[in-house]
Parts: sequence; structure tokens; C-alpha cells
Amino acid sequence: MLPSLSASDANKGPHLTGCRSSEQVTFRCWWSSGTFQNLSEPGALRIFYQTKALSSDWYECPDYTQTVKNECYFNKTFTRIWTSYCIQLRSVPQNTTYDEACFTVENIVYPDPPVGLNWTLLNVSRSGLHFDVLVRWTPPPSADVKTGWMSLVYQLQYRVKNNTYWEMQELESGTQQSIYGLHTDKEYEVRVRCKMSAFNNFGEFSDSVFLQVAQIPSKESTFPMALVLSFILIGVVILLIFIVISQQQRLMVIFLPPIPAPKIKGIDPELLKNGKLDQLDSLLSSHDMYKPDFYHEDPWVEFIQLDIDDPADKKNSDTQHLLGLSHSGSSHNLNLKNDDDSGRASCYDPEIPDPEDLASLLPNHSEQGEHQHSLVSRSSSANPDFQQESEVVETPIQTQPSWVNMDFYAQVSDFTPAGEVMLSPGQLNTSPEKKKKEEENEKKIQFQLVCDGAYTSETTARQFSADVPSSPGPEQEYQAFPTQGVEGNLWNGDYLVSVNDSQTPYLLLEPPPAPVLPPISDYTVAEPPSKSSFLAAYGLSAQPR
Amino acid sequence: MNTVKVLQVCVCVLILGQFLVSGAVPLDCKDDAGSRCASISQEKLLDRVIQHAELIYRVSEECCTLFEDMFVPYPLHVLINQAGNTCHSKHIPIPTSKSEIQQISDSWLLHSVLFLVQSWMEPLLYLQTTLDRYDDAPNALLSKTKWVSDKLLSLEQGVVVLIRKMLDEGIMASSTIFDHTQSPYDGQFPEVLESVIRDYHLLTCFKKDTHKMETFLKLLKCRQSNKLSCLPQ
Repeated sequence: MLPSLSASDANKGPHLTGCRSSEQVTFRCWWSSGTFQNLSEPGALRIFYQTKALSSDWYECPDYTQTVKNECYFNKTFTRIWTSYCIQLRSVPQNTTYDEACFTVENIVYPDPPVGLNWTLLNVSRSGLHFDVLVRWTPPPSADVKTGWMSLVYQLQYRVKNNTYWEMQELESGTQQSIYGLHTDKEYEVRVRCKMSAFNNFGEFSDSVFLQVAQIPSKESTFPMALVLSFILIGVVILLIFIVISQQQRLMVIFLPPIPAPKIKGIDPELLKNGKLDQLDSLLSSHDMYKPDFYHEDPWVEFIQLDIDDPADKKNSDTQHLLGLSHSGSSHNLNLKNDDDSGRASCYDPEIPDPEDLASLLPNHSEQGEHQHSLVSRSSSANPDFQQESEVVETPIQTQPSWVNMDFYAQVSDFTPAGEVMLSPGQLNTSPEKKKKEEENEKKIQFQLVCDGAYTSETTARQFSADVPSSPGPEQEYQAFPTQGVEGNLWNGDYLVSVNDSQTPYLLLEPPPAPVLPPISDYTVAEPPSKSSFLAAYGLSAQPR
Repeated sequence: MNTVKVLQVCVCVLILGQFLVSGAVPLDCKDDAGSRCASISQEKLLDRVIQHAELIYRVSEECCTLFEDMFVPYPLHVLINQAGNTCHSKHIPIPTSKSEIQQISDSWLLHSVLFLVQSWMEPLLYLQTTLDRYDDAPNALLSKTKWVSDKLLSLEQGVVVLIRKMLDEGIMASSTIFDHTQSPYDGQFPEVLESVIRDYHLLTCFKKDTHKMETFLKLLKCRQSNKLSCLPQ
């Protein structure tokens, strides 16, 4: 067998076309005369070889094959394994060497193809579409595998008949291999080749063997299967429908839970619409939200004192403070927080101001109207009137040390000259311990109220300013808060009933007679107070005028 | 628990008894210290030795290919084929044709293998150091060389045991008995090209010799297992 000739051979001169051994015992070499036609007769070109291991002489080819043209055959006596040979192609008459090649015999071993290829069916798949086969072969007879002289590995290839692409299997050292997953009703072609293990020279392919398995029509086996499956499916669907229908209500709750309406825990929205004030008081005061702890923790509240020693100042400053008539210009804000917003954030987290600073802001310390102290910082861009007035509104509420006694709802009954608001108690029906809790709640809600009032009392402020010019005197300048406005502004929620409905309980006109400040609730309703009652409520002596 | 242990012992005895019944001859395993070790049949030992030799041959072929791809330009391949006769193992008189090999005795086969193994111990060490010197030697090449060097030691031990048992000869399992004067590997640092050629030459020779070892051992196995069919034809 000739090795494959390359295309360039035709243009070359005489050259060796290859040397091969099939069993590692003998080997052959071939040559071609190429373009030199005059050398194509037999005997013109000769092969010489040299085995340096034995001697450095060149010997001529021991046997030129008679039957094959241009072949030199080295039989087993001339073949030495693990020995390198050098072959030369010479033209003796001209004494020229046209080609030379060196090799060791084990490196030119190309085993013969395996023989005896046959196949057996292993199994057919359930569906009848696929099958597995086991392919067997025997090693080439020329290769001495039995004695271990050569160890061969085999490679199996298969393809669908007339396909161009061959599927390759892994190298196999045994003499059989299985092929899995072949399609029935297709004809396959299988072939095997081998090589020496750990060498790279594959021999020729064996003769192909064809295999085919007819497809067994097994439709009837699939039919009941499909029927059974469909029955099961229908059963499952019916079961699901039954479950859904029977548990409809529960499923509705699980899958479509009701959206909760906004409400406060423990408070019935109906109550807020139609309930009594005291009920509402008790409910809201007991609510966790309104814990006026803040008020308890403010020591500076106690430090604020009303000083009425300076009557002149008092006369002017109080009214001014209250009404903001003196546009002193410097609204002395106690800025606890220096942020520029309208004080919303700072409402809920105020810092404890320096008592001295606060004390210095008291009316007796200030000659001008620089008493505006509030817990909430204000942006200076706000309307100064509005600021001052709202501050005034808030200040007295905050500086009142005895808020401890406050009920949830309260109403403003009078104003002190210092600008504080005197509140009349709501309807009290609470126990002492509950009072304490209520006080705490009140403080918190007061503060919130204040804050809300900080920026919601614009209407209030307007009303203030509207009412101010019409006031006859300072004493009478303590205006009543218009109930509608206050309520609407101080508590923006919808929980408060419309003013008209509950106006009656808020309008308590009698002033608090006792010097101890009665409990005042967070919701304040202003009333036109009388001066004397105002002062009396706070235990202040009347100003000498 | 006791019954479980008894059962385990019984199972072990049964399994070991099967080995005895099959007629395998366990090798007596006694170290110099006299401690017993696990015994293995001669047949199994030979199988293992052959496996070792096969592996070593395959790895040596891989080393050769790696080196060739990395360092040896194609024209030099021819050069190496020419130099195939100058391997250092040519000094060992080993038959090189099948007919000759089939005629030599088992003893001669084993001794040839042992000589080959021992002759390659030092060159492999040299090869490891020289391969380290290349800047871009692939790690696979270095690790394979090291691996082969280790495996060769165990192969030597196996062959020594086989010789002792099959041939009843006492032999020293030391490579120091080998004559190192022929070794050209002194501490010189050759130039790069010269070094490449030398190393490639070494690798090809090693590949050839490991193939020899494998073939000899397989022939030996055939003779051991089935005397009749392995006779020279």
C-alpha cells in the first residue's frame, strides 16, 4: 500500500514517498522518480540504508519487491527496532543522492486494519425509536498482540449512510465497543481503525459494516398511556375546581386580602364622627402615639419665669409680644435647629436649649421686642407678622410648666399679659393615674399641635392680624381664636368632626377660678377671655397700671 | 457490636480464602525489620509493573511532544531522528529485533529492564534541572518530568522484587551500582541551542527506552501466563 502522495510530488525530482511498517517486524520504503522520466525504469534509482548502531556503512536495499514498483522491502532479519535507520535514494550511474530520510522503526508503524467486524443488537428503546448495538472485531492478523509485542488501541467511527460526517468514538483498547442511541429506520455504516498505543500513526480503516433495525410500530402501547394521562389530568382539574368552589371564601381572603382602611388602632372611626368629647379624650390620651415624654424631660421649662416687675416694659412688651405690633425687626428666634425649612422636622426632635439663653429672652431682659422664643426655628423668609403671631400663640403653650394636668382637649380661656394662654379644662372624668398618662399624651400632642400650628396657623395669624386693629386696647387685644380656623388648622385630620357639631362642648366660657392651673388639653379653643380671669388663672398679681 | 465484628472478620476470611483457593502464590513480604506487609501475587505484581511501564512510556511521549512543540523548530526533527543511535543506553546489549527478543530468557528480559530503569535515573534528574533553566518551559513538562522520575523509582523497586521472586536472585535495588562515568552531564551550562538539542535528544532516547521496557515486560507477562502461545513462531 502506498502512502498518500502530496500534490507537489509531481513537480519534484526523484524522492522517497514514505516508509511504513505494519507489524513492527518488517518495513517497506517507496520512492517516486518524479519529473525525471528517464529515471523511471527499474534499477535507475536505488535505495541505500545505514544503521549507525551497527556500522556506518551504507547498504543497498536487501529486497526490491518484484510485484510492486519502486518498493524496497526489509525483512525481519534486516529490521531492528529502537534503532534509527537512514535511507537514501540514489542514482548510481550519476552518483547523486536525490533524497534521504531517517527514522526508527517503531515510529513508522501503521498497523493493518482490524478484521472481522460484526454487530449485535443490544436493545431497542421503549418507544421503538432508538436502539443500541455492540460492535466487535478482531485485531489485524499481522499484528502480534497476543504475545504483547504490539499493544493496539482502536477507534470506531459510524455515520448514517451517505452522510458526509463520521461520528467518532473514544479510543478503545479492547476489541469491542457499544454504540448507543441510534435511530431505527436509518441505515448506519460502521468502521474501525487502530494504532499503537501512545503513538500517533493510525492505520487504514477496516471494511465498513452496515446495520439497520426496523422500527417496530408500537402505537398501541402509547395509546393507553395517553388515555390514562388525559384521565388523570381531567380528574385533577375537577378536583381543583371543587376545592376552589368549596373554599371560596377562604381563598378570597388569602388571595385577595381586604385593603385596610386607614385607622388608628383601637379607635372606631364612627366614634370620631359622632362620639362625645370625653370618650375621644380617653381614647386618644391612652393612645401610645401621644406620649409627651418630651415635656417631662425639658428642664428648661421650669426655668422660664414670668417677671412682671417692670410695668412699663410689661405694658408694652406683652401686648407687643402677643400681637407683634412692635416690629422690632429682630425676631429673636431661639433656633434650636438651624435648618431652613419651616420647622417641620425640628418639631419632633427639638434640642434642649440653654436655659440662660432662654432666660435672656424673657421679656424682662429684653428692652425691645426680642422675646420671641419658640421651640421651632423659623425661616426668616416667612411673613414676620405671621411668625411673631404664631410664635406668640405657641410660646405660652410651651412655657407653661404645669401642663401635667392637661386633658386631651382643652380650650383657651384667657391670656396672660406675658402672652401665655390660659386654658380651661375639658370635661374631666379621668382617674389620677390616667391623668398622668393623659398629661404625657397631652404634652406630646401639644407639641405636635404647636408644630402643626407653626405652619398651619396662617389662617390663624391672618385672623389675628385682622382682629388686632379693631382691638380697643392691649387688654382687649387678646383675641379669641376663631374656632373654625383653629380647629381646622390645628388638626388637619379628618377625624375631628366639623366645627358646628362639636362647638358647644368647646365653648366653655367660665374662667378657671383656682390658682392652680387646671388640666388643659392639647386641643385648644380660644375664647374671648377677660383680663382678670387670665391673670387669676396664672396666679399673677395684676399689673400696676 | 460483637456480632458485627465477627461478621466482618468472617467476610474478610472468605475473601482472602478465595484468593488462596485460586492458586495465586502470595509473595512473602518481609522487610529487613521483619515486619509483615500486605502480600500480593506475582501475577498481580507483574500487572502492576506493566501498568507502571505503560504509564511512564505515555508520559515520556507527552514530554517529548511538549518539548518539541515548545523549543524545537521543525527542521531539527530530522536531525534528532538521525541521532537516534547515540542514546547512552546503546551500551547495554539489548536485542532489538523481535526474533531475538523472543529467544532470550526471562531472566535476561528482566535484567535488561532493570538496567534500563537504573540507567535513566540520573539523566532524568539532570533533565529536571536543565528544563528548569528554560524561561518558558511549560509547567506540564516540568511536572511530568518530575513525575516520571518518581515513578521510575517505584518501577525499579517492582522489578527488583520480581527478579527476586521469579528468578530467586538477590539483587541490589540501588542505582549507584550503575556506572556513572559515562554520563556526560556535568555541571556545565551549555548554550541555548546546544542545550535544546541535547535535551531533545535525551527525551527521545528516554521515550524509546521506555517503550522497550514496556514491550519486554509485556512479553514476559505473556510467557508467564501462557507458555505455549507465547513461544516464538
